[in-house]
Amino acid sequence: MTAVTAARATGQALERAEAAGLNATLAWSNTALEAEAARVDSMPVPGPLHRLPVAIKDNICTAEQPTTCGSKLLEGYHSPYSATVVDRLRAAGAMVACKTNLDEFGMGSSTEHSAFGRVKHPLAPERVPGGSSGGSAVLVAVGAVPMALGSDTGGSVRQPAAFCGVVGVKPTYGRVSRYGLVAFGSSLDCVSVFGKTVSDAESLLWAVAGHDWRDATSVDRPIPDRAPARTTLEGVTIGVPVEYFPADLDAGIGAGCQAVIARMRELGARVVQVLLPHTRYAVPTYYIVAPAEAASNLARFDGGRYGARRGPHADIAALYQGTRGHGFGAEVRRRILTGTYVLSAGYAEAYYVKAQSVRARIAADFTAVFAGGVDCLFTPTTPTPAFAAGDKIQDPVAMYLADIFVCPASLAGIPALSLPIGRTKGLPIGGQLMAPMFEEASMLGIAKLLERSLDGSAEVVR
Amino acid sequence: MSVSAEAVLRLAQLAELAVADAELPALTAQLDRIVTFVAQLATVPNPSEHAAGPPEPAPVALRPDVVRPAGLARDISAFAPEVVDGFFVVPRLGAMDGS
Amino acid sequence: MSWEMVIGLEVHLQLGTRSKMFCGCPTTFGNPPNTNVCPVCLGLPGTLPVPNESAVRLGTRAALALGCTVHRRSRFARKHYFYPDLPKGYQITQYDRPLATGGAVVIDSPERGAIEIPIDRLHLEEDAGKSLHDRLPGKTLVDLNRAGVPLAEIVSAPVLRSPAEARAYLTALKQLLTWIEVSECSMEKGSLRVDANISLRPLGAARLGTRTEIKNLNSFSNVERALVAESARQQAILDGGGAVTQVSLTFNADTGQVRAMREKEASRDYRYFPDPDLPPLLLDEAWVAACRAELPELPAARRARLISEFGLSPYDAGVVNGERRVADYFEAVVGAGADPKTAANWVSGEAMIGFNATGTFAVSAAQLAQLIGMVRDGVVSHQAARQVYAELGPAAGEPRQVAERLGLLQIRDTVALERWVTEVLGAHPAEVERFRGGETKLLGFFTGQVMKRSQGQADPQRIQPILVAKLRGE
Ligand SMILES: [Mg+2]
Ligand SMILES: [Zn+2]
Repeated sequence: MTAVTAARATGQALERAEAAGLNATLAWSNTALEAEAARVDSMPVPGPLHRLPVAIKDNICTAEQPTTCGSKLLEGYHSPYSATVVDRLRAAGAMVACKTNLDEFGMGSSTEHSAFGRVKHPLAPERVPGGSSGGSAVLVAVGAVPMALGSDTGGSVRQPAAFCGVVGVKPTYGRVSRYGLVAFGSSLDCVSVFGKTVSDAESLLWAVAGHDWRDATSVDRPIPDRAPARTTLEGVTIGVPVEYFPADLDAGIGAGCQAVIARMRELGARVVQVLLPHTRYAVPTYYIVAPAEAASNLARFDGGRYGARRGPHADIAALYQGTRGHGFGAEVRRRILTGTYVLSAGYAEAYYVKAQSVRARIAADFTAVFAGGVDCLFTPTTPTPAFAAGDKIQDPVAMYLADIFVCPASLAGIPALSLPIGRTKGLPIGGQLMAPMFEEASMLGIAKLLERSLDGSAEVVR
Repeated sequence: MSVSAEAVLRLAQLAELAVADAELPALTAQLDRIVTFVAQLATVPNPSEHAAGPPEPAPVALRPDVVRPAGLARDISAFAPEVVDGFFVVPRLGAMDGS
Repeated sequence: MSWEMVIGLEVHLQLGTRSKMFCGCPTTFGNPPNTNVCPVCLGLPGTLPVPNESAVRLGTRAALALGCTVHRRSRFARKHYFYPDLPKGYQITQYDRPLATGGAVVIDSPERGAIEIPIDRLHLEEDAGKSLHDRLPGKTLVDLNRAGVPLAEIVSAPVLRSPAEARAYLTALKQLLTWIEVSECSMEKGSLRVDANISLRPLGAARLGTRTEIKNLNSFSNVERALVAESARQQAILDGGGAVTQVSLTFNADTGQVRAMREKEASRDYRYFPDPDLPPLLLDEAWVAACRAELPELPAARRARLISEFGLSPYDAGVVNGERRVADYFEAVVGAGADPKTAANWVSGEAMIGFNATGTFAVSAAQLAQLIGMVRDGVVSHQAARQVYAELGPAAGEPRQVAERLGLLQIRDTVALERWVTEVLGAHPAEVERFRGGETKLLGFFTGQVMKRSQGQADPQRIQPILVAKLRGE
């Protein structure tokens, strides 16, 4: 098989996904795919991702396709450069398959907040695929691509991975360059990966990871070897934080997680209950820090440069207010207003500064648990399986709480992943692993063994 | 109510977002709900003086002072809705104007 | 009532780097609009800032020269406001953790003499672009070439007491900053810009009055003029029983008037927070110590040394010390054997004219020292030496050869001088009589006549004793 054949197959798969009305893809073309194939075929040495098609969330800049961030405001915007991660995956022999639909600028947990329409769940079209990287998750779930790039700011890769039944890995903050990822919450944003399997996700992660001088927050650390295939969990201590198993946890998800815990014990793990006492503050902390940074990051979209102008603009104020007021969708505007509020004079101390201190305590909770001998934490990824479209759209706080188990790792900057651990009422369940800073390799090793030891698509027994 | 309609309009001014009259009540209610939700952090006690803070992040790496212009790939006019003689053009400053 | 002015100045200084603060674009001045731009300084989506090492070094150097404490740890923050020439909607600057605080500049106050003006802080930031409001009707044109150029903002304590004192502060500050070669300090090119804060309070009062800020003053004299105008405006308000309101003002140099800038009420809420794209800036002590070691002798110390070591008057020392290269030149001339006082006169006179015009000294220090020696030894007159100086240059040869070629060597041959004296006295018998009758001031007349007869070549120092001897009939 040549790359051209692979490109044609990918094009057909994307066409099928479009025909199914999933609305997961944004810009792509067979012509561009063939050009990618030709480029890959002419590479003198095949790279680690040789001929693999990779879908790219549309908040990651590509020089060849438009980059819209799912926003009317950036409709038609062509980045003059590609993100470092895109350059790296192409250098590794992968083909850019398509750009994928997302919640506008990555803000949302359902991929309903895209200017280009909502993305549908691959198994239940009336449900959401999670978000904000819903398009990437769906394309991996339906097998159109083996792997995809997303971005995880407060769970935006792990939560849709759980909803769609695929693997989603968020690395340590700083492990992967953010250069070319359109910023949402800069201190939280991690380019993250989806894979059909843990190994696929791992391949993509290590292809794009590594220090980049263009990102002052990227970390100069060697890329570890691929996780060896484990056969047991002997000598491994798994922490199970009680705060992640509340009384109102979906019963199917609870049962699924208990089954995994039992299986880990069988595999030889020492499973211990641990406390992460500041967990309940993670969502409110997140919804101060992320909107504050978002309001700042999105200030550049003012109608003066790039992107479209909206509304009348007799003077500059009208241009700004019209472009931003009409160009941004409802959720983005709420976050900008929230972020402006928490940073404004008289409120910054009580909100933004306070949130920084609570964030430090959330991180300290993890540090203490890991220092106490826990190698990896296991939790459910989400409190419920995929919810129905429209369910939470009128209540932003209900939507925010969908990220209750995923945003703590984002605030702490630690690596985390979600892998399929079964289904409840036909909907996928995700189990989350969280590890100490830069311990992705050991986390991935445990995930691979769990993947082999569980049937991720089987209905859980309650 | 911790967030009033007036407060929303003031924030919208600060953030340069047009807010239509018709959407103001719903937006105010949503922001009030969000702000009330995040305000629960006030109940978290402040850390004691000697509590261990988070580890200091690695210092910023500096760039050598080398002229290395990164191209724009396209003409400057591709990066703005209105360009004249190489200048970006925006409407007159109005309320921000010095004159 | 008598009012006291309270003035503080904010100086924005462009640091002399090759590339911008956070990207690799050049900092060159005067290029076509939007040509020194890249994805980073255009604020394109997805781009990130990476700080320039030279900007940090030059900022540190300036801070050390000002006697500031350079902080081991500082950080960058975002300052938010919407303006067409601010591409990201925020400026990256330092806010709660500036690079340096404390410090002082010694100034020559016209009213209070030599006084120390404390510096509150020095911080690093990026410049905005340039907006042109008068090129197209109803439109604003934006050039982002300057966006991202590295600046140091230097904030004085509000302790200046008069417009003239403000000017003296700026003069001293500019001298220092030029001296340590951190910036071109050109107001014309915008590499040095001044904002002035001023308030009035009753003489002797401790509480500060409401201040106003005059933005973007473009010359030292305009700083002075604007402060005179604004203090008069505030005084008229206060004398009339009114209250000053806090506003930002612009100064119109043509009319000499200040005028309030129209501002949105909300625009002062800058919503600062630490820039999450930039980890803290940590400077280790050895690095700061190396910066300190690289500093040249600073102007105040050098001026004191010029007075103590070379016996210059404070005035002469000030002139010679105006610029570091001038002081270096002066010391080289003295080092080559010239008398310091005479050297100071030459350096601040003839040499400075050429230096101001061309930025260089055409005559080497060794040549000037030789020329000064020739005047001392009476080989040439001072007048002739100035002519020789004008001819000197890299290719002109030695001063003595030049003087010879120009026929400017003084004639000190007693026989020749006596002949001219005899001829002059013979030609003016009436004057000789009057001299002998007590009109001794005629000595100057006879000297002039001898110089004339010698076509300027006689050494006037040697004419007089001969004249006096002959007139007294010796
Ligand atoms: Mg400033
Ligand atoms: Zn640039």
